[in-house]
Amino acid sequence: MEIEKLQDRTNVEKLTTVLYPVLFGIFIAVLWQTQILHKILGTDTFTLPLPGRIISIIGDNHATILKNVGATLIVALGGLTAGSLFGYLLGIISTAFPKWGAGGLTVVSAFNAVPIIAIAPILNNLTKDFSKDANTRSMLAKMLVVMITCTVAMSINAYRGLTELKPFSLDLMQSFAASKLEIFFKLRVPNSVPYIFTALRVSVPACVISALVSEYFAEYIIGVGRQIRENIVLAQYATAWAYIFVACAIGIIMYLILLTLEGILLKGRR
Amino acid sequence: MNLGKIKKALLSKQMVIAYWVLGLVVIWEILAVIIEHTKRTPENVLPHLHQIAQSIFSKDLVNMDQTALQIVLSNTGITLQRAGIGFLIGIAVGYLLALIMNMFSWAEKVVFPYLMIIQMIPILGMAPIVLAMTKDINKSRIVIAALLTFYPVATNTLAGFKSVMKEKHELMYSMAAKKSDVYKKLLIPASMPYFFTGLKISAPMAITASILVDTLQGGGGLGCMLSQSLKHAMTIYVFWQIVFLSAIIGIASYYLMSVIEKLISPYKKVGR
Repeated sequence: MEIEKLQDRTNVEKLTTVLYPVLFGIFIAVLWQTQILHKILGTDTFTLPLPGRIISIIGDNHATILKNVGATLIVALGGLTAGSLFGYLLGIISTAFPKWGAGGLTVVSAFNAVPIIAIAPILNNLTKDFSKDANTRSMLAKMLVVMITCTVAMSINAYRGLTELKPFSLDLMQSFAASKLEIFFKLRVPNSVPYIFTALRVSVPACVISALVSEYFAEYIIGVGRQIRENIVLAQYATAWAYIFVACAIGIIMYLILLTLEGILLKGRR
Repeated sequence: MNLGKIKKALLSKQMVIAYWVLGLVVIWEILAVIIEHTKRTPENVLPHLHQIAQSIFSKDLVNMDQTALQIVLSNTGITLQRAGIGFLIGIAVGYLLALIMNMFSWAEKVVFPYLMIIQMIPILGMAPIVLAMTKDINKSRIVIAALLTFYPVATNTLAGFKSVMKEKHELMYSMAAKKSDVYKKLLIPASMPYFFTGLKISAPMAITASILVDTLQGGGGLGCMLSQSLKHAMTIYVFWQIVFLSAIIGIASYYLMSVIEKLISPYKKVGR
């Protein structure tokens, strides 16, 4: 009897955990559609179009939107990959030379506080000679910006993952007369996997954001972020909102993919 | 003996960092030399560091009545003020939200999933639309900075409340402590380190946001000067000064939070 009651209670708990946020979401959507939200925020349907209209615009312009999504995704994913690999490499180098590495990572982490806006125009100018094609060279500049933001998170976490080992595991390996290389591949690298995901949890949302912002300053007009800005300059707020919806969707979907991957790869490790 | 000491001092942690900075300076200068010989206008791409330093101390007027440094500094004031107001509002809202979420479990259930989702939404990308909605550049700066501040503060503070061990709650309960006392003596002090983690994340973000919003429209501020300088409305060195200054401000805001934390937090005082 008692156990059944307890079971009931946990079921209610589970149900409300899903139900409350969904109800809240519906509540906001209703406020939005009935334009009560507009009254609260003091705007009109021109600057904040109704959800139905935004979705219909996405449907109408899906070909253009997809092209821009593609451009943004290449920048975000390319920068994420390059930055994470480079960051991990920095982590490895720091592990090999701890004295120099730790200081170097302090300097690298300072880059984290440098606003993207300051970096983007510099890289734009630096990559001017890279290619005759404006699209290619501004793509490279944007990717480098994303890469810098992703390198920082990965290098610090990789260093921690490669050095913060379980107590005595290093002694155990040494007592087996394991070579440094063996210790690296059999102990340090597996130990760093959860830390890689910690870094990715930071850098996946960050790569989307920095891709969008770097597009603002890029030479070539393409990408979801740039379209938000361009459409607002043209006072086409509904189209801008469509791109904002798409940008949010990109961020959320990429994060969900990451969580799924993490669930599969780290099964039973956390 | 003495030599050993010198060697040790030369390899201390601060010195290692200094060597790295020196290394970066060397790389910068090498690139600057290459660009000086290959580009027509090297100062647009990568000037020498001493040229930037020179522009800081130069007395030449860049516009009607200000030198480059005066322009940069006066606009820094404008930007920082807006970022600061937004930051403070964000802290207040974030902390209040964490408190409410900790007090009422229904509130946590409603809000927490959205707090997770908002982290994945590129809010900086929404800056132009916020500007269109508020119709005022100052207001939108504050709104964006506050938006970017409130969720790291809220999630980290909530994590701080949750981190308190069950035994401590039970101790408070066994002493018949009032709810307000539990918060005052147990939960709020315990959440402080987490709260400051949130602040350290959001302080540089608030400044980045404020500069970005500046670039969207005229009306002063670092970002506005940055884009004008890039368009060659004034000397390009204003741009380079802003690049370095914004980097310094970003890093300084992070350290400022650490300093404040050390000043006010009881858990870091001596003797514990």
